[in-house]
Amino acid sequence: MELKLANHSSYPRIGDSAEGQLLRRTIAQREKGEKTDAEARVAEDRMTELALQEQIQAHLDSVTDGQIRWHDSVSHLAGKLKGARINGLLRFFDTNTYFRQPVVTGRLERPAPMLVEDFLFAQQKSSRPVKPVLTGPYTLARLSVAEENQNVAFEEMLDGYAGALAEEVAALAAAGARTLQVEEPYLLKQPGDFAAFERALGALVARKGSSRLALAFYFGDVSPLYDKLQTLPVDELVLDFTYSPKLVETIAAGGSAKALGLGLVDGRNTRLEDPSTVARQIERVSRAAQLPAATLMPSCGLEYLPRDRAQLKLKHLSTLRDTLNGKAA
Amino acid sequence: MSREKLQKLGIELPLFPTTSVGSFPKPDYLVTARSEFAKRKISRDQLRQSERRATEFWIRKQEELGVDVLVDGEMYRGDMVAYFAEHMPGFEEGGLVRSYGNRYYHKPIIISEVQWPGPITVEWWEYAQGLTRKPVKGMLTGAYTVMDWSFNEAYADRRAACLALAGEIRKEVEALIQAGAKIIQIDEPAVSVRPEELPLAIEAMRVTTDGLPAYFITHICYGAFEYIYPGMLEFPVDNFDLEMSNSGLDMLALFRQHPYSKDISFGAVDVHNHAIEAEPVVEERLRKALEVLPKESLWVDPDCGLKTRSVEEAAQKMKVLVDAARALRN
Repeated sequence: MELKLANHSSYPRIGDSAEGQLLRRTIAQREKGEKTDAEARVAEDRMTELALQEQIQAHLDSVTDGQIRWHDSVSHLAGKLKGARINGLLRFFDTNTYFRQPVVTGRLERPAPMLVEDFLFAQQKSSRPVKPVLTGPYTLARLSVAEENQNVAFEEMLDGYAGALAEEVAALAAAGARTLQVEEPYLLKQPGDFAAFERALGALVARKGSSRLALAFYFGDVSPLYDKLQTLPVDELVLDFTYSPKLVETIAAGGSAKALGLGLVDGRNTRLEDPSTVARQIERVSRAAQLPAATLMPSCGLEYLPRDRAQLKLKHLSTLRDTLNGKAA
Repeated sequence: MSREKLQKLGIELPLFPTTSVGSFPKPDYLVTARSEFAKRKISRDQLRQSERRATEFWIRKQEELGVDVLVDGEMYRGDMVAYFAEHMPGFEEGGLVRSYGNRYYHKPIIISEVQWPGPITVEWWEYAQGLTRKPVKGMLTGAYTVMDWSFNEAYADRRAACLALAGEIRKEVEALIQAGAKIIQIDEPAVSVRPEELPLAIEAMRVTTDGLPAYFITHICYGAFEYIYPGMLEFPVDNFDLEMSNSGLDMLALFRQHPYSKDISFGAVDVHNHAIEAEPVVEERLRKALEVLPKESLWVDPDCGLKTRSVEEAAQKMKVLVDAARALRN
């Protein structure tokens, strides 16, 4: 089995060097009226280039734009839709980071592409394929609230997000994205909603064209849902192993008809994984499950780590693959 | 009710005691001093003078406003976890990670066995208590939150790191009690986000407080309480300090389903809003609380620390709390 290396999604947008402070400094100056939106955009461009460079230097086969321009995983998309306004801060799952909660005020509509320009910029700056990442409709709907007195039902929000994101998936596919990653971590908290989740996902799958669609889960134990996830019409499942102590055995027992993204490198902790342990886990999964293809990656976005540690984690991916292939020093 | 425990500790409080969660905004001169200290333009002693001046300011301000149980305002802290990590061997300062938007903080890394180095907060508590006759709370961050908000490279897993921290933080609790602190708040804002780890957080709090003669409060905020209530009532503390207003008093519905059994420091003003609530609004929130809670159990405070407000806003929010509590007493 060929093992590829990839980034998961986000990447630190700050570092301890002077250049690493560029975006934070520029945004702070913009807030004081000392810099313009255009100057902030230039700073975002530069930090995106740096994120791409560091991923390429780590020999990844697939990279992301690091979601450098995103305020958070929720409001960045919801805030671009008609029918939603952005409200106060809430904790993002069990992290110590916060997102701005969307308030759905009416019918959700996508007035313009949301990520296409950023994808094209990143792909132009990268020698490796860039994977656009979207937070999925189910997670967006669960992390939104309806405007008081507007009587917007959850199903209505879910369908609205699904419709808007399906248009974005089609636009990204048309722009040349080979693989698109849709993230649905909230399903792990509410597995009883599988039917509604599946229906919303179907709208995106229908518009992906010839692009591959990877479906990502993190910040929860995916093992109990694993068999059902195998029935979904997606090309790849991206799985966080750090919350799922039984996942290796679950996959080994059940196999996989889909390519798997193996989130065996903890994106939430600085400790580097023991290479022989990870090699054993990959061998166990790949041999028993007869995987068609697999990609080794962090368990989640890397923005939860300081930049120097995120770089080390990416470089560690190569070390782990070398260990698996018997090339380690 | 824990009021008897307070009386045994020699503390008499009025009905609906007023307090605050812990942090107050730093006055401009202290913000400047911290910046200059970071640039090595002033000495640690000069910074400390500014911190003491700001601490005295907030003690006097709380007295002036009529607050019943005071805090030192945490003028000497940057962050509630990093402060303890900076003082405890076993930690190193990590690089910057994002909190939200354009806000970042240095997240600590546990690199070896953590150790209590001797009193960390005691001198500040003694200084603050020396400025007032009213009780001043000892203020600590709990083991679970320190563990959860740090990277762990030293311990086998989260549980091992958490329980090791709990044992070391207990030594700080003992030192505060030795110094005379009767009310000690051990903040655990992280416990509400991993319901499956609630038993670990409770076990850690037990390690930290078991058998010690103090009235214990723990502050929890901005989480999914519906997943940890009523299990959280097993925490070995006397008083939960809870964010209530920001979440529209949602927790009262949970209290109706399963009776609440401890004292409560009821967050009656929103700390993330510049607007100062009108006194009748706060009074109404407290009256709603009294529909499901015994009056002897109700303390009155803000949702969370007020450090993100301006000095004037923080003082005004505290004033409206005190006014509402007084109106209720009458």
